[in-house]
Amino acid sequence: MIVKAKFFGKGVHVPDCKSLSKDIPIAEMETPDFVAISVAQHIGKPAEPIVAINDHVYQGQLIAKASGFVSANIYSSVSGVVTSIEKRPNVNGVMSDHIIIQNDNLYENVVLEPLADREPKTLINRICEAGIVGMGGAGFPTHVKLSPQTKVDCLVINGAECEPYLTCDYRLMIEKQHEVIEGIKLLAKALGVSKIYVGIEKNKPDAIEAFGKDNDLMVVPLKKAYPMGSEKHLIYSCTGRKVPTGKLPSDAGCVVQNIATALATYEAVELNKPLYERYMTVSGSGVVQPRNLHVKFGTRLDDIINFCGGLKEDVAMLISGGPMMGPTMISTDLYTTKTSSGLLALSSKEVSLEDPTPCINCGACASACPMNLLPMMIDFYTQAGDFDKADSVGGVMNCISCGTCAYVCPAKRALVQSITLAKNQIMAKRRAQQGGNK
Amino acid sequence: MERVVISDTPHIRSPRTTKHIMLDVIIALLPACIMGCIYFGWKALLVLVLSVASAVLTEFVWKLCLKKNFKTILKEFDFTSIITGLLIGMCMSRDVALYVPVIASIFAIAIVKMLFGGTGKNIVNPAIVGRIFAFMSFTAVGGMATYSYTTASGEIISGATVLTNILQSGLNDVDLLSMFLGTNMAGCIGETCKLALLIGGIYLVVRKVIDIRWPLIYIVSTGLTACALYHSMAYFMPSILSGGLFLGAIFMATDYVTSPNNKYASYAYYLCLGVLTAVLRKATQMEVVSFAILIMNLLVPIFNKVLHPRPFGSTPIHVIIKQKLSKMFSKKEKKEEK
Repeated sequence: MIVKAKFFGKGVHVPDCKSLSKDIPIAEMETPDFVAISVAQHIGKPAEPIVAINDHVYQGQLIAKASGFVSANIYSSVSGVVTSIEKRPNVNGVMSDHIIIQNDNLYENVVLEPLADREPKTLINRICEAGIVGMGGAGFPTHVKLSPQTKVDCLVINGAECEPYLTCDYRLMIEKQHEVIEGIKLLAKALGVSKIYVGIEKNKPDAIEAFGKDNDLMVVPLKKAYPMGSEKHLIYSCTGRKVPTGKLPSDAGCVVQNIATALATYEAVELNKPLYERYMTVSGSGVVQPRNLHVKFGTRLDDIINFCGGLKEDVAMLISGGPMMGPTMISTDLYTTKTSSGLLALSSKEVSLEDPTPCINCGACASACPMNLLPMMIDFYTQAGDFDKADSVGGVMNCISCGTCAYVCPAKRALVQSITLAKNQIMAKRRAQQGGNK
Repeated sequence: MERVVISDTPHIRSPRTTKHIMLDVIIALLPACIMGCIYFGWKALLVLVLSVASAVLTEFVWKLCLKKNFKTILKEFDFTSIITGLLIGMCMSRDVALYVPVIASIFAIAIVKMLFGGTGKNIVNPAIVGRIFAFMSFTAVGGMATYSYTTASGEIISGATVLTNILQSGLNDVDLLSMFLGTNMAGCIGETCKLALLIGGIYLVVRKVIDIRWPLIYIVSTGLTACALYHSMAYFMPSILSGGLFLGAIFMATDYVTSPNNKYASYAYYLCLGVLTAVLRKATQMEVVSFAILIMNLLVPIFNKVLHPRPFGSTPIHVIIKQKLSKMFSKKEKKEEK
């Protein structure tokens, strides 16, 4: 079933650059000699390692346990021997414990216990047990999202994939259509809702058509605009509801999940397979052969790039995820995680390397901001060190950090940097005040 | 891959830069400049060249005095001083002494722009203040208020502008077509040919440099206010086609730096600007577009403070008003009960 979308009227048209990898089928990545699996692959507390050095582990064996409600289990992606547990940098530059496992190439596999029934509670427990997190990039544990505090009546599936270059969700919608749809229905069952919206951008007509055939899903063809995949804007586009400022999507009666998360749910419930591998796009004009890959967590990025033919001479930037919100990486000596949706090597022609010039108050940022904020005022007050004004005048705490403002800025100002700084300062101040009150 | 760049998001950006925008504005100004040179001859060209050259030179000299590297200055040069110079030249009459545009440009760039911190930091429009400075200083000696034009037969006629005629003696023999085209009109170099200004304005709208609503609101509200003040709809076209309204509305009031930063404040700003222009015109009996813009430039922070966008997902205003009203009513009821 195909239903019509609403449009929030703002945002920006970003060249999608998806043709590099759009028509390339998903390939299985060769498994490396060793994997280094981070214990901090999600938002929340890092998991606690439960294996010791020289332990033998199976593929699909629990190696780090969730250390709280907002945390997630981590499983081994190969079978072999744990050689060490050491601190290494994550893709975002933060150091965390990595469990390093020497691959014995036997792939001795263990699976989870089969489920007795398909009750919502059982499903949520299974999703929690399998260590499933939001795989679009944020990495928020899925079982937390599926246990909302308020009454929810809609499940919204994010198939917008509005980040340029990334195509792995699109490939999944084409190649693993049945599994993804079953996964979506399982998520809806876990949530106890019957309304399922699937938002897909109009640049993926075959995916819209394929999903539109299923009568239980309401497929919403979305206008191609960035940031269409932002939770709040996706909910508005699909259901016409607005998430109140400072509130969660569940306050508008909606829960948003990603395509890859739906597939992981299917595999965890029907195949009893915990989460230890994912699909990712390797793209950008700095890569010899852009591809869509199925990779195991803990795979070294260098190996992935070599598998894609290596890097070209002119590489200016390495990005984990999409070019609008993904962090840049110092080197390829890093390892894939649950949130590695993409690995981009961009040439100096593609990336912006201009120096910032003075703001001319043109208002392009304000008229593009999907949240209706005033990014130029946030930047102005942050530069002046007045973070309270950055919030009261610019509205920085409502910012979703999508980067639309900086994309359109003709003066090439580092708006997102200012916004992040202001947010961190305000959060630190609020925490200090709360601590003082106790 | 020896060196990779580490930077904050987003890593891709739109190709448009400040220089592109400024270049678009210069292109949009060219038709009016060319028509000015055709109508007013080589003297007009000389005035434009002098004002642009002195504006650009002032910026370079100022930055050299700040001990900046010449290469950096060239890199930083963003064409804004060319626009300021052009606008100053365009609002001079051809009868000015040649030192007037030079002094006006130097004043505009050095005092109004660079002293406040350069591009993007000036609180009022440099070109406007440059013009007003010249107008205040050189009316008697520099020929700032003398206008002459050459007729088709080669006769040089000096006289008052159409606007002054209208303001002082009403709508007597007004020729709207020649006002629109600028033929046989006394006036400033760049402001007489409304057609050329309109073409420039359309170019800016098409290139998305300005919002079509900005000049439209300004021009229409000026015309309507004039009609209201004179109790006659006949004043609409003459009042919008006379004086420097088109030049001011399309190119000067829409200057990014000195106009509000969001659409709600912008609409109110241009509306007030139009009303103020018409009222001041009637009150002073002279052309006051530049003064109106100057006054409103100074009020921009108030517009920004009062009218600003509300974040996506805020409670709609009508709901807030309803809540407040229902609270008021419930209070009244309680009082009555007591």
